[in-house]
Amino acid sequence: MSLDDLYRDVILEHYSHPRNKGVLEPADITSEGANPLCGDEIRISLCVGDGVVRDARFDGKGCSISQASASMMTERIKGRRVEEVGHLIAAVKAMMRGEPPGEGLGDLEALQGVRRFPVRVKCATLGWVTLEQALADLARR
Amino acid sequence: MPPYQGGGEMISDVWTDHATWNELPWKFEAGTPHVAGAVGLGAAIDYLERLGMDAVSAHEREITIYAMERLAEIPRLHILGPGANERGGVVAFTVEGIHPHDIAQVLDTEGVCVRAGHHCTKPLHRRLGLGASARASFYVYTTRDEIDILTHALHKTRELFRVAG
Repeated sequence: MSLDDLYRDVILEHYSHPRNKGVLEPADITSEGANPLCGDEIRISLCVGDGVVRDARFDGKGCSISQASASMMTERIKGRRVEEVGHLIAAVKAMMRGEPPGEGLGDLEALQGVRRFPVRVKCATLGWVTLEQALADLARR
Repeated sequence: MPPYQGGGEMISDVWTDHATWNELPWKFEAGTPHVAGAVGLGAAIDYLERLGMDAVSAHEREITIYAMERLAEIPRLHILGPGANERGGVVAFTVEGIHPHDIAQVLDTEGVCVRAGHHCTKPLHRRLGLGASARASFYVYTTRDEIDILTHALHKTRELFRVAG
């Protein structure tokens, strides 16, 4: 197990320069997620119109993996259709479960290395699970 | 109060439809006692008494003072809590810009085991305005060389995360 697998450059870069950090006000939906044991916290806010994620931001604190994963996520979902985002969430979760990464994951493949450090997998998926919750809440309206 | 679990030594007499219990404390101590643990504890106490608790305390203080000196050399590292003479053999700290779990992960690959998180003191961390901290602890077998390894590993951690300053 090499540390370079875990802390890929793209992850460290997003950690030190997070994209879309902050809170959207007003937002169409906001969702909060946490890993209480490690203290990672994420808040996702979305503006959604005509079935498209118009804008997305994340806020929170936590380790490099949780924050970088959420940053990459917001960058990736902006301008995407909600169904597409749903597929992306499923693809990332499948990859983190150990399945080979599907096509079109791009930079997100960097998160694969986290799988070799099982206790950190929850850090990587926190943002995605929180996003999934937000979209589920939105769908129920 | 009925016994919470059955097993050897907790019983007094048994019929097909009922049983009576041994007196306290056996009633609540079903099964084989923790014999190996008791013997191990005895050996540990003998060991510490041979060293002498004054020597144990002096070594712990010396290592803690040395560790705090070395950690203070690391830029943007903040030691939590009081000076070396007012604490036991543990030093909790934070490094600006690096989450404690990331610190622990990198130190681990350098062969240094520290704890990261709340250390069962969540209200204290909240009061200090911290999400978590890292914590190194020392004992009779901790050497100054190992403190040097810790210091070196922390420098490496800062390099990996490219923390400036």
